[in-house]
Amino acid sequence: MKIYACTEGRSGQVDAVSLEMIAAARSLARDGDDVIAFFAGSAAADAAGKFGTADRLVAAIAPEADIVVAGTYARQLCDVIAAEGAGIVVVPYSANGLDVASSVAARLDWPLVSYVEKIARDGQSLSVVAQLYGGKVLADCSVPLPAVLMVNPGAFAEATATPLSPDRIDTIDIAELVAASRVRPISIDLPDFSDVDLKAAERIVCVGRGIGDEASIDLARDLAALLGAEIAGSRPVVDNGWLPKLRQVGKSGQKVKPKLYMALGVSGAPEHLEGMGQSDMIIAVNTDPKAPIFNVAHYGATCDLFELMSSLSERLQPSDT
Amino acid sequence: MNILVILRMVPDAAGELLLTGDGLGIDREWLDFQLNDFDDHALEDAILLKEATGAKVTVIAIGEGTNRILQMAAARGADEVIALPCEEDELLSSRDLAATVVDLARARSADLVVCGVQSSEDLFGQLAPYVGAMLDWPHISGTNRIEASGGGLHVTQERGAGVSVTYEVVLPAVLGVQTATKAPRYVSGSKLREASKTPIGRGERQASSFTLSASIEGLRIPEETGSAQQLGEDAENVAERIVAILESNGIGRR
Repeated sequence: MKIYACTEGRSGQVDAVSLEMIAAARSLARDGDDVIAFFAGSAAADAAGKFGTADRLVAAIAPEADIVVAGTYARQLCDVIAAEGAGIVVVPYSANGLDVASSVAARLDWPLVSYVEKIARDGQSLSVVAQLYGGKVLADCSVPLPAVLMVNPGAFAEATATPLSPDRIDTIDIAELVAASRVRPISIDLPDFSDVDLKAAERIVCVGRGIGDEASIDLARDLAALLGAEIAGSRPVVDNGWLPKLRQVGKSGQKVKPKLYMALGVSGAPEHLEGMGQSDMIIAVNTDPKAPIFNVAHYGATCDLFELMSSLSERLQPSDT
Repeated sequence: MNILVILRMVPDAAGELLLTGDGLGIDREWLDFQLNDFDDHALEDAILLKEATGAKVTVIAIGEGTNRILQMAAARGADEVIALPCEEDELLSSRDLAATVVDLARARSADLVVCGVQSSEDLFGQLAPYVGAMLDWPHISGTNRIEASGGGLHVTQERGAGVSVTYEVVLPAVLGVQTATKAPRYVSGSKLREASKTPIGRGERQASSFTLSASIEGLRIPEETGSAQQLGEDAENVAERIVAILESNGIGRR
């Protein structure tokens, strides 16, 4: 059986999640199976050294396309699968993967399970554990093969970046397919970290939906100042315009690993945990004792957020002496 | 431009979720249902496009409590509102819903279909890419800005880590909205009362067009790992303990 691992990257770099997808694919392979990494972009990104334990790399290349849009990515992958056959396709839960997974499943008429945390292969089917309702429920699913799986980042450890010899790399020219696309990238905005770089911060105070309103963020900002921490927010806070995008932690924001991460009124949706779960010390405050943030926190409290911020700020005031 | 907006009512998962006796669903009897947050943003982007281009906006809604949501959509500026039928305990699978949306998009000569990037019930895939692939229309998910440009659109997508990409998109197209170009607007009570007179159309569901799908063998509530050492419910005590923890780890005040 051929098992495809969808990989991503741009500007000569391969995203870390690519090696996780290769590890997921490898975990499903039996003797005689092929794990094939699929990449689409402007260059195969130093391919020989960056595609882990894959048996082969199929690199769909358009020299001018730093970003290959998901529709084109999915279409080319389906063409490769039609030519070579496949039993399983694993796709990362990412901006690109969200479009690719369902698109491939629809085009091939294959089953799909999203938000996958665990996979076990059993003959001609898979047993899959996936998240529902923002991770508050787990679904045990039976998946007939062939199938597509959209896998959560962090569900598999990164595969070792074993070099691939050139004879195991197949390059496909997709310049014509890219040119024919009805979606064309016209600009890429890269973050300007001159104001704040959360990835470099040693201490972060993050506010979530539980902060209630924009004015209350000032209380958290005061607390952060006393701790020498950067203020950050979860997606709802940034979507409401209460904090700028560069201060968002999570899947569509920054991935951080500070020495201290204080989560105030953050529920801990999987997308948020992906961005901060590796912090050295996590202190979470949320009135819901079942909030998923407590599953990754080292210390938790269910007290009133505003009373705590006030009391904590008082205790952290510099002494006069 | 004809815009079709898809709204889904989903269980409010903020509180405690209980499973049904057979373990195959969640007990919905005492749950509140709310508009999928991302769909709210999709609606706002559709109304903003209407204001910019004079587009017609048709809103399709499914799930418990759709009438209330459709009246809200009308108050915000939707031209036509339609409710789709739904089983009482149905998990709203985008995989199943896609055929209905495709049928509606064709029947109404839609130029643009917009919905939320995902919903909490999207276990078997996301709506926008399903619909896009089935119609063979371009599709982009995770959008945070949509603007009319010439006969098409300029659409910005969040790629993570602060990186955004703006695309030129030829219509017809399908978009999965993450964040609207502007925050969803507030609707006054008087507008809502006026919109309550808006007739709500009734649509029909189409059977799923897929041959094989994954199936749920059972649902379970994840075990609480208990990794967090609980500091309590009293703010004063919690503050005192946090200060002690920080100081003992050398990360007290600066």
